[in-house]
Amino acid sequence: MTLTAHVYQIYIAATPQQVWAAITDSEWTRRYFHSTAYVEPPEQGRPYRTVVGDGRPAVDGLIEEMQPPSLSRPGRFVQTWHTLYDPDLATEPASRVEWTVEQAGERLTRVRLVHSNLEQSPLTWQNVKDGWVWILNSMKTLLETGQPLPPISEQEELASADRA
Amino acid sequence: MFRALADPTRRALLDSLFNRDGQTLNELCERFPEMTRFGVMKHLVVLADVNLVITARHGRTKRHYLNPVPIEQVANRWISKYAARFTAALVGLDEHVTSDRQMEARKEQSA
Repeated sequence: MTLTAHVYQIYIAATPQQVWAAITDSEWTRRYFHSTAYVEPPEQGRPYRTVVGDGRPAVDGLIEEMQPPSLSRPGRFVQTWHTLYDPDLATEPASRVEWTVEQAGERLTRVRLVHSNLEQSPLTWQNVKDGWVWILNSMKTLLETGQPLPPISEQEELASADRA
Repeated sequence: MFRALADPTRRALLDSLFNRDGQTLNELCERFPEMTRFGVMKHLVVLADVNLVITARHGRTKRHYLNPVPIEQVANRWISKYAARFTAALVGLDEHVTSDRQMEARKEQSA
């Protein structure tokens, strides 16, 4: 039971359309999502693959649902999630990532992220648990300030410079 | 958010979800036999109002999940203020990109 799903929610001072673009458009994802980008623009019913900055594979799977937000209903982006960035994680079966993007006020959007079907993927369960929190905060910071959170490696350099 | 966390019962509810995420109201009530069902519900509503607990329906069951996102936002804010930058680097976060305006927005959100 504990292994079934991670559920997160964040409020972002941006329109649902801006948040939708941040989730589905590589011009945005590579700025806050560990430099990852879709090899081809995601499309409902089609397989997808994402790569990191240097072209190495990150994640692949199938786009199960892709409905942009409208005035009458929230946006839904559902993808199966098979990790490629780590050989151990890559042996686990695909799980499912569901984004729901909903207007919560004027220029305020509620983003819900559910990562489920993790019963057979304990390594992925552990790996993404805190990772999604960073991704969501990084996306919020980028949309609200125009600047992403600095990459973790860069922060370490800054920190050692401080100590020196 | 701080008011939500000030209550020991609500902290115990969060602990329970931290140990086992996705519990139903019935499961949570079993863990807190000293409280009425209504009491547990009331506490869960307070936690949901500040985005610390989120609910999701699975068929006919409603499950409760601990949302760590606002806790990390608060941690960012205070840790970067009082601790050295390397602490932020350890958790992969740094607040210096966040404008004061956003701080205000967060304050309002969590009030």
